[in-house]
Amino acid sequence: MKFIRNLLLTAIVFAFTNCDHLFEFSVYEANVKTAQKNTTAKNLKLLEEIKIDSQDFKFAFITDVHYFYDDLKTVIDDINNREDILFVIFGGDIADQALLKEYDIFHEIMTSLKKPYFTVIGNHDYNSNGAFIYKQMFGDYNYSFEFNNNKFVFFDNIYLESDTEVDFNWLSSELSNHANYNQVFSFAHIPIISDDITPAMQEKYNSLMIENNVSLSVHGHTHSYSYEPGDVSYLIIPALKDTAYGLVSVKNDTFNVELIEL
Amino acid sequence: MKIKFTIIFPLIILLYTNAFTQEINLDKTKSWYVPDYVKTQFAGNIGLVSVGAGYQLFNKVLYTELLYGFVPKRVSKAENIHLITIKNTFPIYRKEIGKNLTITPIAGFAATLDIGTTTFTTLPSKFPDGYYVPTAFHATLFGGIMVHKDFTKPKIFKGMDFYVEIGTVESYLWYAITSSVVDFSTIFSADVGVNFYF
Repeated sequence: MKFIRNLLLTAIVFAFTNCDHLFEFSVYEANVKTAQKNTTAKNLKLLEEIKIDSQDFKFAFITDVHYFYDDLKTVIDDINNREDILFVIFGGDIADQALLKEYDIFHEIMTSLKKPYFTVIGNHDYNSNGAFIYKQMFGDYNYSFEFNNNKFVFFDNIYLESDTEVDFNWLSSELSNHANYNQVFSFAHIPIISDDITPAMQEKYNSLMIENNVSLSVHGHTHSYSYEPGDVSYLIIPALKDTAYGLVSVKNDTFNVELIEL
Repeated sequence: MKIKFTIIFPLIILLYTNAFTQEINLDKTKSWYVPDYVKTQFAGNIGLVSVGAGYQLFNKVLYTELLYGFVPKRVSKAENIHLITIKNTFPIYRKEIGKNLTITPIAGFAATLDIGTTTFTTLPSKFPDGYYVPTAFHATLFGGIMVHKDFTKPKIFKGMDFYVEIGTVESYLWYAITSSVVDFSTIFSADVGVNFYF
């Protein structure tokens, strides 16, 4: 009995001293590690430290990792080697089943990125307890920031999985001060050409883009490439399993789009 | 949800009824359906704590168990998590290490069903056909060490097991196998448990 008691005591001591997930209680846990919390806020701080003299800069857009982690790493390594890319935007579907482990793996790989990154939530990220995890790990579903007198707007347009209405009022008010900026860029996971949002949502989104003079709207979700230039240009970047990423070169009041395939 | 309950609730009731019947018939030969042991486990992706009962089958070649696991809101940081698990453990060999004390390397697998509201077993109709695979099922694989002690003067229980295991989940294992950036060391976690024999 003494042997069993000692074993039990050792196990309990072990449990309390190694709390960062030595014991896992369920795949559906949303217990995000302290070091991985508030990632968006941390990246915004990093972005503030980037000062450039010219109006021109470049950012990369990657999307839909699901579970193609090696491909994510390949793309990250390539972006790290390019000094001209200042920051990275991730277009959603960080996870596949939206398990904490998937979010954890993603976050771990992204720590090797030497530039700030910003995410928008995807439909897969809402599965199971994904919404809780996303909120803790990254922050708000809808947010925006300014860089070099350009505005970047991140919009959660998932409604089936979240069981909530998409917040177009937020988007509208966020875009209302567009005249203060050289250009406005908008990011949402599902593109308006996809049937996974309703025709009413497609129309509403498009009209907000036009009304507010948005230069470029970038998306993922379809796992395929599409670029439609126009008053408002629409760009869709393929999933990371194609080891491809979008490169947007911003120039004063214009921009250029490129698909980099590795 | 309703269907899940109509299946699971009677099963739980059946188990508990059996547990009570067992105490009354302590000295008689027990019926085939009466469990051989009751158990509780801490962690292992089947609940913060899980409780249940099991059978030693095929001359103790297989221990098979039905468990209910729970993770409270406070720990899950999301909703309360309720899990139903069928766990199968194979003792690899038994070695006597003391009086009425044996040590056994064990390995096995478990299938877990989430009976909460955030997962589904069949795709909800709001989604297009084949949009997602069911999210409520998961399997765990584990290996470990079990110590068995026979009580010389049994009162309620004839003996007990204590075990420590290291395990992982099928999806985690798949990610580690298919992605070189996912390290095997990150996918395993520990659990401990006890079995009490009637």
